Amino acid sequence: MIGRPTAVALIAAGVVLTATALILPWYSTIYAGDVEVVVRAWGTEVVHKPGDWPAGELSPWYGVPIAITAAFLTAGIWINRAALAGAAAQLGAVGIITVLTISERGHAVEQQGDFAIGYGLVFLAAGTLVALTGAIAAQKEAR
Amino acid sequence: MKLLSAALLALAAAAAVTATFLPFSELLIKLAPDQPQTAYVTTGWSTYFGATKDVHAPLFGIPIAAAAAATLAGIRWRKVAFAGAAALAGVAGMLFVYLLNAISFHKTGNIAIDPSLEAGFGNGIWVLIGATVLAFGAVVVHPDD
Repeated sequence: MIGRPTAVALIAAGVVLTATALILPWYSTIYAGDVEVVVRAWGTEVVHKPGDWPAGELSPWYGVPIAITAAFLTAGIWINRAALAGAAAQLGAVGIITVLTISERGHAVEQQGDFAIGYGLVFLAAGTLVALTGAIAAQKEAR
Repeated sequence: MKLLSAALLALAAAAAVTATFLPFSELLIKLAPDQPQTAYVTTGWSTYFGATKDVHAPLFGIPIAAAAAATLAGIRWRKVAFAGAAALAGVAGMLFVYLLNAISFHKTGNIAIDPSLEAGFGNGIWVLIGATVLAFGAVVVHPDD
């Protein structure tokens, strides 16, 4: 067993990584003419937007479910059960984000775009796994 | 209580898997004012634009099926049932936000041009949310390990 202090430290590290992921870019695609579409937790930014760009920008609220699970993880520093709920829910949300990103990459490559994963998604995946490890360890300690 | 929680968990897992085959969102789209309406339907395993299949469709069914499997494993362990229910809540919440975006994007883009076009949630998302509620109900009546 890794001990309660280590489990709590892992959960806290998961919270910090997740919070960082809510700020950093998740993925971006560069198209011809230096047009870049950057997707973050709180919106899509089009750099060098051409005049004929399709109407309406996706302004995702992807950050909302992640902010909620991060709040559960934060509570999980004191309450074991909240950590488990937050980590499991965040893993589920990351699952949806993963299949969505694979799909977006497919569409981008099909349109000759240069697709790149941002640090936000890397931090989100790392934060989720670290927090899940901590949450499971905290559960085992509780017995 | 053991039997009741097992039945509820099995039902929740079955409902979640069923949801992946139902439409999550249904959008009626016109690419140009003089073109016919085309339905854009997303399920857990495919996205169709009219009769055309999107080869890069997001496979939402995979994380949903994984969460359903965890929920089913929860028949044996209460904590796994709790984690499975939370995972279902996570996939349902994230999917809901994605669909909400897609629908509102469609409304500001297409429906502003032609008010006869429609966009809305399909039954799949409601079945998935129902499965989440069932799973949490099963956790409540699940006897302790």
